[in-house]
Amino acid sequence: MKKILRSAALAVLLAVLLCALFAPAIAPYDYSRQFRDVPNAPASHQFPMGTDDLGRDRLSRLLYATRISIFLAPAAALISILIALLLSAASQGGAVSGFTTLCLSLPWIFLFIVLRSVLPLNTRPLASILITFGLMGIAGWAWPARIFTASIRQMKQSGWLLQARASGISNPRIAIAHAWPHLRAIAVAQFRILVPAYILSEASLGLLGLGVAEPLPSWGNLLAELQHPARVHDNPWLLAPLALLMMVMISLEVLA
Amino acid sequence: MRNKSAFTKRLASSLIALVCVVLAGGFLAAALVRYSPGFDSIPEDLLHISPTALQALREERASENSLPRFYARYLKAAVQGDLGISESLRIPVTDLIRDRAPVTALLILFGTAGGWLLGGLLAWAAVWTRRPALEAFAFSISGLLLAVPPAVLALAFFFYEAPLSLALSLALLPRVFGTMRALLDCYASPALLAARARGTGPFTIATRYVFRVAAPQLIALLGVALVLAFGSAIPIEALCGVPGLGALALQAAIARDMPLLCGLALLITFFVTFIHAAGELVIGE
Repeated sequence: MKKILRSAALAVLLAVLLCALFAPAIAPYDYSRQFRDVPNAPASHQFPMGTDDLGRDRLSRLLYATRISIFLAPAAALISILIALLLSAASQGGAVSGFTTLCLSLPWIFLFIVLRSVLPLNTRPLASILITFGLMGIAGWAWPARIFTASIRQMKQSGWLLQARASGISNPRIAIAHAWPHLRAIAVAQFRILVPAYILSEASLGLLGLGVAEPLPSWGNLLAELQHPARVHDNPWLLAPLALLMMVMISLEVLA
Repeated sequence: MRNKSAFTKRLASSLIALVCVVLAGGFLAAALVRYSPGFDSIPEDLLHISPTALQALREERASENSLPRFYARYLKAAVQGDLGISESLRIPVTDLIRDRAPVTALLILFGTAGGWLLGGLLAWAAVWTRRPALEAFAFSISGLLLAVPPAVLALAFFFYEAPLSLALSLALLPRVFGTMRALLDCYASPALLAARARGTGPFTIATRYVFRVAAPQLIALLGVALVLAFGSAIPIEALCGVPGLGALALQAAIARDMPLLCGLALLITFFVTFIHAAGELVIGE
């Protein structure tokens, strides 16, 4: 049963990844093309999921949104892990540990909105992507850092490290050839935890209007349409981004 | 006697850690206000003075507002309960926090209690019955809820006029369930199986053996759940128009109201660090 579930999850993720990768080829229209004579159109042959307020094709926007949400969350996770790894390796002292405790003391979303408020809110769409996912990566380093710090501390007390030092092996070589293989498994585990967390966070931020800026689509800003319940009743395709998000999240959970 | 001394030591180190983290949080908050855009701008009515006088005024302000001095002033005022005036609402930050905090506190309290109750019941049912179907059902529910953003759950509850604290409970359920399920694994241990075979009731086993052993982790989980609840409360309040601290934080971020954001950061850092410190004190680690 577990094997079937894992295969199904893998198939779902592969399908979503392929759709995201080939979005420009699959999508019937460009994500920003407006058909102003048919705003809020119901599902039809021309627009399989209908159109939004500005007459943009929902299916095309969903495909492009998948591309942004699914590829940039791993990038943000990589940034977090890289920062965590560098800070943990560079200092095992109290300052970094204290800063980690401070960052862990603030709820993640609050930390994000505080950092976001320092930067301009009216940015170009491309800049908004970089700001959203970059800040996610920067704000989310504390949890992996705590795990890396504990692991590196344990490693520093181990016999093999003492022997390597006594043998005259340089610190960079110890880090790359000996310590990294130990830390790689933790990094992969943290990556697996962070990716779904960031996908979900982007969705929440998009709903709050702090995520990717229009006209670029992301799962978050597509979900913002759920704030109008009457529209959901008239056009159930509005739930498609939520369904896709849930499918991806469940698949990631099953595979993790 | 030794226990008392160890507890005093732990209490002192927890208090020092609490003060250090809050001071560091305050410093970051003050730095944010100090370096926010427009902080050093000269009022429009002074712009007509001579360039030399303007330059002198700018230099005087820069020296007055150097970060350490600024932080010292901010901290002194904060200790006296003055967190400044909200730039967007023109109301003292302390008054805003005093008005909004009870709303958020109630939401978090009921949400966390509900999350614990539902997550705990689900974990207990999965372990107690030892039926694979029920366990699979419990994991499916938990997995499904983990895949939904709390804000979407809250919107659904808002539109159907259901209590928002229940949406918060459902958002917390997967986290509580996952940890409780792992903690309750000892229920299937040979010793407790033997106790069950001898006819010891589930209540006795739960209170005497299971929860007593798991108490430290459960206290730690309570702290984590409260922090998670606060994080989830922000989008819930903002989207559903609940006049709490979460909505206030978002409003402050959008209006770039730095004094308000700093006051909230200071309060939240204190709240979260206090919960963690209290948990560690009770657990004894």
